Amino acid sequence: MKEPLLGSFKAKPEPGEHRLGPIQEIHVPMRKYSQDEEVDFCIVGVGSAGGVLLQRLARAGFRVVGLEAGPFWNTERDWVSDEAGSYKLYWNDLRITGGKNPLALGANNSGHGVGGGSVHWAGFTPRFHPSDFRVCSRDGVGVDWPISYWDLKPYYALLEKEMPVAGPAYYPWGDPHGYTYGPHPTAGVSNVLVNGCTRLGIGVSIGGPVAINSGSHADRPHCIYRGFCIQGCKVGAKQSTLVSHVPDAINYGAEIRDNCMVSRIEMGPQGRVTGVTYYDPDKKEARQKARVVIVCGYAIETPRLLLNSACPGWEQGLANSSGTVGKYLMAQAGNVVMGRFDELIRMYKGPPANSLTEEFYETDPKHDFARGFAVQTVGPLPIAFAKQMMVAKGAWGWGLRRVMMDYNHWAPLGVLGEILPWEDNTVTLAEEKDQFGLPVARVTFNLHDNDRKLINFATKKVEDILIAAGAREVVQEQRYAHLVGACRMGSDPKTSVVDGFGQSHDIPNLFVCDGSILPTQGSANPGLTIQALAARTADYLISERENILEGRPFSRISPPVRHDLSPEGTSGRGVPRLKGTALKVK
Amino acid sequence: MSAADFNPNPIPEQGVYSSAVAPAKEPGPTSAGNKLKSNRIDGIIRPATFEEPGTDDEGPVENLPVDVKIGQPLKSRAQPGYYPGYNTLSQQKFWDEATRKVVLSRVNEVPPIRFFTPPEHKLMLAICARLLPQDDRDKEHKIPIVNYIDDRLYHDRIEGYRFEDMPPDREAHRLGLEAIEAIAHKMYGHSFVKLGPLEQEQVLQTIHDGNPPAGEEIWQRMSVVRYWTLLMQDAIEAYYAHPYAWDEIGFGGPAYPRGYLRQQNGMAEPWEKDEQPYPWNAPPGSPSAGYKPLGGASGKQTPVGQEGTH
Ligand SMILES: Cc1cc2nc3c(=O)[nH]c(=O)nc-3n(C[C@H](O)[C@H](O)[C@H](O)COP(=O)(O)OP(=O)(O)OC[C@H]3O[C@@H](n4cnc5c(N)ncnc54)[C@H](O)[C@@H]3O)c2cc1C
Ligand code: SF4
Repeated sequence: MKEPLLGSFKAKPEPGEHRLGPIQEIHVPMRKYSQDEEVDFCIVGVGSAGGVLLQRLARAGFRVVGLEAGPFWNTERDWVSDEAGSYKLYWNDLRITGGKNPLALGANNSGHGVGGGSVHWAGFTPRFHPSDFRVCSRDGVGVDWPISYWDLKPYYALLEKEMPVAGPAYYPWGDPHGYTYGPHPTAGVSNVLVNGCTRLGIGVSIGGPVAINSGSHADRPHCIYRGFCIQGCKVGAKQSTLVSHVPDAINYGAEIRDNCMVSRIEMGPQGRVTGVTYYDPDKKEARQKARVVIVCGYAIETPRLLLNSACPGWEQGLANSSGTVGKYLMAQAGNVVMGRFDELIRMYKGPPANSLTEEFYETDPKHDFARGFAVQTVGPLPIAFAKQMMVAKGAWGWGLRRVMMDYNHWAPLGVLGEILPWEDNTVTLAEEKDQFGLPVARVTFNLHDNDRKLINFATKKVEDILIAAGAREVVQEQRYAHLVGACRMGSDPKTSVVDGFGQSHDIPNLFVCDGSILPTQGSANPGLTIQALAARTADYLISERENILEGRPFSRISPPVRHDLSPEGTSGRGVPRLKGTALKVK
Repeated sequence: MSAADFNPNPIPEQGVYSSAVAPAKEPGPTSAGNKLKSNRIDGIIRPATFEEPGTDDEGPVENLPVDVKIGQPLKSRAQPGYYPGYNTLSQQKFWDEATRKVVLSRVNEVPPIRFFTPPEHKLMLAICARLLPQDDRDKEHKIPIVNYIDDRLYHDRIEGYRFEDMPPDREAHRLGLEAIEAIAHKMYGHSFVKLGPLEQEQVLQTIHDGNPPAGEEIWQRMSVVRYWTLLMQDAIEAYYAHPYAWDEIGFGGPAYPRGYLRQQNGMAEPWEKDEQPYPWNAPPGSPSAGYKPLGGASGKQTPVGQEGTH
């Protein structure tokens, strides 16, 4: 067959129509607020957390504006099924990275554009374990959260339906639970993980949990197993808040201003913020007034913005009376261990995120370190894999050409290890300036003893799994993933930036809602937790409606869970036992 | 058994594949099977036989990998690798429009050299010809690595960060070229471009190993290993972004809206090809064939992975 069945693929959007995937569309223009108008909420950064917040607050009838530094993607036009061509999905503006174990940023870390990091995430969506919220009391390391797993559990369940998450009907780790959408078929790399784990008697979750449609879902098709998840899913099968929550937000009157970079949060009298200043798409300064500002800019840009907003009376940066803004930054150990097999694997097929084990998640008294790790499938495309071989095998020249000719024989597995929160891992301001003249972020990262021991043990364990699966050669690359922390939540205003709802201790109408508020990170990928926390913060804000509108202090009382704010058709559809639980909004 | 016990294709210490190389059938000027061409004879450096990529049909035969079975140099070909006849570009009608545009413009509209000066350009060509050698590719199918690197630097497209012990990318590349020249002079008394491929590889190997014998002032201003990864990454991003490289390694290429259905057992889709491996060795004596640890055995300067995976 030389010709496609229906001719070459063309998908030109009609004017005024915004395409997200082959069948999903948004009809723009959306609602526009004037800049002089004081809106209820201004959300800085429409990423993983920002997208969920925007949608819920709009659905609840608030006037909401989201300012996003990157573009509002038209996925058919802007995204490509190509590794090098997906450069623009990442935060590519300058940041400085250092410390004893400097982190790679850019494509390894954060997004830029509506959907933020959820555009290029792999889509693994395990929950945190109940133990994660109590690591200090249980294991004597890190710090306890001001909330418990049980506070967040209903929001996990909600988001798993809204994304939706595909996975096994019974998931044994942490708080055991099941998924309403079936697991995905396995491909080469997942077969290796499953074989290796099974031979060693290690439990393994097959085909999920991942935020990837295993069946068509409303106007989003199911996965076509093309393996380009990290380059943005053109199909719309993998969740990003761009395809799951933003269309609903716009339907309910939210405004998103894309290519707008917020440069500072404005303080008014009475210790309250009044809005933000930003650079519009023409790089001109503009302002937006708001009753409440919520910063959702990612673990680097959020502390950077708070520090850059320093002003008289707030010389250390906003919400920073504790001095903890920018401190306790965390990354997970993300070592990639690669095994070479005699048989063909073809790692590029299927979503990289497919199977995982959390058998080593909890503290084990037999180990010489606290906390644990997960092992997950990954599927680097040729450029990424060649760079990994450059590090893992020291490959270059003819050696690199040779090992790359065996690309289809390798199976890579990812460690996801918990690194503890340390005060000396920080985001500060560098001397260098960005295109707007704003100081850029400097990220400093050092491993500590527990982290190193954990990483060594974890990589050995993954080597064992690969060898048990039949690998003929095993190599590994040191790597870190998923920056969180740096504006952590806590009960004590002296040692944390925000409370359990994301409200800053210092400034009542300034909230932070994104990965930066995590006090510890477990060894589960953080995306689901970040979006679940956003839904919880939204419920809190909605329950405080009167106080917000009147400018009165907030109650700090846990809100009831709102089950009626899910995007249209996401809770209940195709899932008989959930039918009827999603109530229509009035 | 530990991972270290595994050695699928045993590689002698120095990466010399001598045992695999049978005596040449017809010894003569074009037969390989002896040594990677060294221009260094009795301490005297002769003019380089090394040509810039793209200027010669086959390149000097000494640079060619060797067919293990017959001990002869492998002929340059349109498509090295184990998937003969596999052609991702032939599938372009099945790609979406945006992707087609990006990939075809990469292939057909090779960016001109605008950042590197002519001497820098010449040096970069010689360096990249060793970082990712293409002697086994015929003239029509060489991938213009330097043009893509030049384009990135010309537009100052950065990766979103800079290590605190590194200058900005443009400066790092310029400093690196200076350092490589200095090492070439120190080791062989000649400019890098004048050296034979073996010496060139040896010059580069010192940087790879984190142990360059010259350019000290430059290495005060940037980390050796980070410079190496910067240089290699740029070369990798150019080479493995190209459909010719995808064909070489059997990667499926763009896959939307069609997707894959054969996910199990390494099976090929109907338009993909099964693997037909052939045994080959790097040109005898090539240091880059030896897989030494990046940053040297001491591991003092361990590099960190740059790519997002999970
Ligand atoms: C390759 C890769 C794979 C990953 N895979 C997984 C995975 O499988 N599972 C998982 O759970 N996580 C994964 N992650 C991590 C996940 O993507 C992030 O943890 C998550 O997206 C962070 O959410 P956030 O809301 O904190 O920030 P983001 O989603 O990054 O959103 C922040 C947004 O704010 C915008 N912004 C920042 N500053 C400003 C400003 N001043 N003005 C205006 N806008 C601004 C940014 O442009 C961005 O869009 C992966 C990450 C990478 C890089
Ligand atoms: S593998 Fe599936 S989820 Fe990933 S990009 Fe392709 S269609 Fe989307």
